[in-house]
Amino acid sequence: MKKFDVIIIGGGHNGLVASSYLAKKGKKVLVIEKNEHVGGLAEYANSLNFISPIIKKELNINIHNIKDTDYIISLEDNQNHTILEDKNGKLSFVKTNADENDQKTFLSIINNYKLFSKTLGSFMYQKPPRVKSGKRSDLFQLMSMGWKIRKLGKKNMRELLRVIGLNIADDLEDNLNNDNLKGLLSHESVLGSNLGPRSPGSILTLLYKQAINDNIFNLKKIEVTNYINQLEDCCKKNTVEIIKSSEVRKIITKNNSVTGIQLNNNEVIESKCVMSNADPKTTYLNLLGAEILDTDFIRRIKNFRNKGNVAKLELVLENEINIKNIDKKMYGKFIYAPNIKYIEHAFNANKYNHYSKNPCLEFYVNDNTLSANIYYVPYLINASHQENEIIEKCVAVLSKFIPDMKIRKQELITPNQMEEKYNISGGHWHHGDLEIDQLLMMRPFYGSSQYSTPVNGLYLCSAGTHPGGGLTGINGLNAAKKIIEDSK
Amino acid sequence: MNTEKISYKKPLLETPFHKRTSEHCYANDWYRWAGYKVAKEYSSTELEYTSMRNTAGVIDITPMHKYEIKGKDAKKFINKLITKNITNIQSNQVAYGIWCNEDGMVIDDGTIFCLNENHYRIFCAERNLNWFCDTATGFNVTIEDISSSIAALAFQGPLSCKILNLLKVENIENLKPFHFDNYKLENQNVTISRTGFSGDLGYEIWCDPSQAIDVWDSLFKFNRDYKVLAAGMNSLEMVRIEAGFIQPNADFMSAEQALRPNRMRNPYELGLGWLVNLDKEYFTGKQALIRHKEKGPEKKLVGLDVEGDKPAMGSVLYDNSKKNIAKEIGIVTAAMWSPVLKSNIAIGFVNKEYYKLGSNVYAEIYHPEELDYRKIWAECKVVKKQFFNNPRRNAIPAFI
Repeated sequence: MKKFDVIIIGGGHNGLVASSYLAKKGKKVLVIEKNEHVGGLAEYANSLNFISPIIKKELNINIHNIKDTDYIISLEDNQNHTILEDKNGKLSFVKTNADENDQKTFLSIINNYKLFSKTLGSFMYQKPPRVKSGKRSDLFQLMSMGWKIRKLGKKNMRELLRVIGLNIADDLEDNLNNDNLKGLLSHESVLGSNLGPRSPGSILTLLYKQAINDNIFNLKKIEVTNYINQLEDCCKKNTVEIIKSSEVRKIITKNNSVTGIQLNNNEVIESKCVMSNADPKTTYLNLLGAEILDTDFIRRIKNFRNKGNVAKLELVLENEINIKNIDKKMYGKFIYAPNIKYIEHAFNANKYNHYSKNPCLEFYVNDNTLSANIYYVPYLINASHQENEIIEKCVAVLSKFIPDMKIRKQELITPNQMEEKYNISGGHWHHGDLEIDQLLMMRPFYGSSQYSTPVNGLYLCSAGTHPGGGLTGINGLNAAKKIIEDSK
Repeated sequence: MNTEKISYKKPLLETPFHKRTSEHCYANDWYRWAGYKVAKEYSSTELEYTSMRNTAGVIDITPMHKYEIKGKDAKKFINKLITKNITNIQSNQVAYGIWCNEDGMVIDDGTIFCLNENHYRIFCAERNLNWFCDTATGFNVTIEDISSSIAALAFQGPLSCKILNLLKVENIENLKPFHFDNYKLENQNVTISRTGFSGDLGYEIWCDPSQAIDVWDSLFKFNRDYKVLAAGMNSLEMVRIEAGFIQPNADFMSAEQALRPNRMRNPYELGLGWLVNLDKEYFTGKQALIRHKEKGPEKKLVGLDVEGDKPAMGSVLYDNSKKNIAKEIGIVTAAMWSPVLKSNIAIGFVNKEYYKLGSNVYAEIYHPEELDYRKIWAECKVVKKQFFNNPRRNAIPAFI
C-alpha cells in the first residue's frame, strides 16, 4: 500500500494550491476529490475572482483579468441608472442623478474605507496571530497591527474605531443624500453575509472584503476554468496524485493523532498528516466525528454561523440581452439594490427563514446568458424552497430592465443545493460569516485557528479559515506553510 | 409532572413531600434548591444531625437533577462525559463520577445508575442538560430531564436498614454499597439504592411523586421505638463535611458557572484524581488533564484538624505561628465542630508546600461573641478529608 506525507481532502482551489506548494517542498501529496473534476466551488464564483499575486508568482500561474476597465451599474426603477467606471482601481462617475456634492462624498467614503482596510489588511496574507500562545512572533504581529492603526493619525484612527463596529446604513445616511448610491455601497457590504445594511458590523465586512480582494466592488474577473486547469497542471508537474470521483468517509485517528483516512469504498489510506479542504463543520462533525472532540469545542463548532443566503440563477435567453437605457460598451456588473430600505426589507424575510419576495440582485450579462446572485434566499434546515417562485420573483425584477425576456433555459442553485453539490454545510460562500467574531485569529473559532485543529496532524485549508472565501488561494498557501513549519 | 404555576407571589415550587415537610418544619426556614423549597432546619439542626448519626434521618432530595440517558451509545456517551471508565459497569450498579470541561476543570459530580446496557440515569446537584446534550453530539442517545417525575428521599443513619427491614423490605440488608434494586415498601413499588451523603450506612429511595406521601409516612412508622427525624439541609451539610464529601459551588466553583477562570479547579486539586482514568481512549478534558497531572496541583483541597473548639468558617490559612510574619497559603471552604468526633474540623485549600498529610498550617478564626469578634490564631494539622468513615457503611449484610 502506498503511503503519503499529506492527504488533502477536497480538490477545491485551496486544496490544489496547498498540494502544489507542499509537493514543491518535497512532500508526497494525495488529493481526494468527490466530484469528477477538481475546482469545487470555484466554478460557481462569478465574483470574488481576485487571486493573490504571491500565488501567481510562486506557482507560475499565468492568468489575467478579462478587462482592464470595468463598469458598475446600479439599476433604478425609473431607469435613471448610475454608472461608475473602474479603471485599474480608480473610480469615477460616468452617469448619475446624484448631485456633485454627493458624488464627491461617495468617492471620498470609498477612499476612506480603502485606507482603513489597508491598515486592517496588514496581515491578511499571513497566518493570523494566536492570542495567549505565549509566542513572541504572535505578540509581535499583534503589536504591529496596533502600531499600523496608531499610524493612521489621530483623526483617521478615531474614525476607524468609530466605524469598525458600525452598520453601513448609519454611516451612509450621515453623509449621503442619494438613495441609489447608498444602496450600491450597502449591497457590497451585505452580499454573501448574513447581514442587513442596519446590522452592526456591516462596515467591517466591507473593509475586510476590500482587504482580501483589493477592490471594493470585487470587479476583477478571470477565466476560472483556465485558472483551475493551470492549478491542476501545476499539481501534476509537481507529482501530486489526484484521485477523482472518490469520497472520504472518515478521518481515522488514534490517541488524538491522525493515522489516515477511509474512503467510501472502505479503502484505508495511511498518512500522519491530513488536510481538510471541507468546511469546518463537515470536517469536524462528519469526517472526524464529534465523539473524539471536547464538548466545549463541539459547542463552538455548532455555534459557527454558516447559513448561506445567496442563490445563483443562470439564465439563457432566446435573444441577445439588451438592457434598457444603457450603452452596450458599458455592460459590467449590474446591481439592483435601489436603496437601503429595500435591502433591509429583503433581509427581514431572511431572519424568519423565508426568501425575499422583493430580492436584491447582482448580475453579469454575456450575449444571451445572464448569471445572477440573488439574495436573500436563506439556507433551510429540513425544508426546501419553492424554486419556481424564486425564479419568478427574480425574473419580475429583471424584466423591468430587460424587455421581452424569452427564457430558453434556467437553473437556480439555492444554498441548500450548493450544500449538496459542493459538500458545504450551510451552503455559504465563505463557509461561514465574515463577522468580527469569526475573523482573523477567531476564524473559524477559538481552538481551531491558524489552520490547525485539536487533533495532531489534522489541518484545515478551506474558506472557513483565515482569510475567508474567494479565489485568493491564501488559505491553501498559509495552511501548507503551517504544515511545513510544524514538520520541521 | 409538576403543573403548579410559578408566580412572583410564589416563586418556588413545592416538592411532592411538601405536605409533610411543611408540617414538620416548625422553624419555617426554607432553602432554595433548583427552584424548589426544601427545609433548611425543621426544629433543631443538632437534633436532626444526631438522628442521622444515631438512628436515621429523612431528607427530601427531590430537587436533585435527574437525567435519563437511553440508546445504543449510552455507555459510550457516559464514558466520554465522565473522567472515570465505566466500561465494566453492571446492571443495578451505581458509579460515582465527575465531568470536566476542555481545560480539565470540574463542572459537577454525580451518581450514575445503570438500569441496563442501554439505559442509565445520572443524578447531580447542578443543571447539566445543556452540557449533556452538547456532549451527546455524534452519539445515538436520547437525553431527557426527568427531574420532576421522580420523588426522592435520603434515608441515612445506622438504623436505616433496620427500619426498612421492619417495614418488610425484603432482602434489603444484602444490598451492596453502590448498588440499587426495585423493592416493595408497604405496597409501594420503589427503587432503593445504597448511596448517600452521610459517610454512614444509608439509602436513597426513589419513587413516583404520587407515592411520595405514603413512602414518607412509612419511614416514620416505628418512631415510638426508633426516633426517626426529618432532617434539613443544615444537618446534611454537617454530615457531609464529616464524611469529607465536597460540593460544587461551595468547596469549588463549577467550571460552567465560574466567572473568573482562576476559580475553576481540576480533579487533582480537589483530591479526586482517583476518579480520572487517563488510559481511557477519549473523554472531554483528557488532553488538559494529562498536562495537569504532569504539572501537579498548585493547591489542594485537604482536611484540617483545627485546634480549639471554634469553627474556622471562611478562615484564611497562614504558614507561620507568628502572626506578623505569616504568609497567606490557603482558605477554608467548610468548617464545623463535629459532635461525633469531638473535634474541630474543616475542609480547605492549601498551597503546594503544605498539602502533605501532617503539615502544620494556621487559621485566623474570627469567632463572633455577642456583637464582638474574638480573633483566634489556631494551629491546624493537614489530615485526610474523610473524617468520619464508619465500617457499617460498607458492611454486608448491613446492620439490622
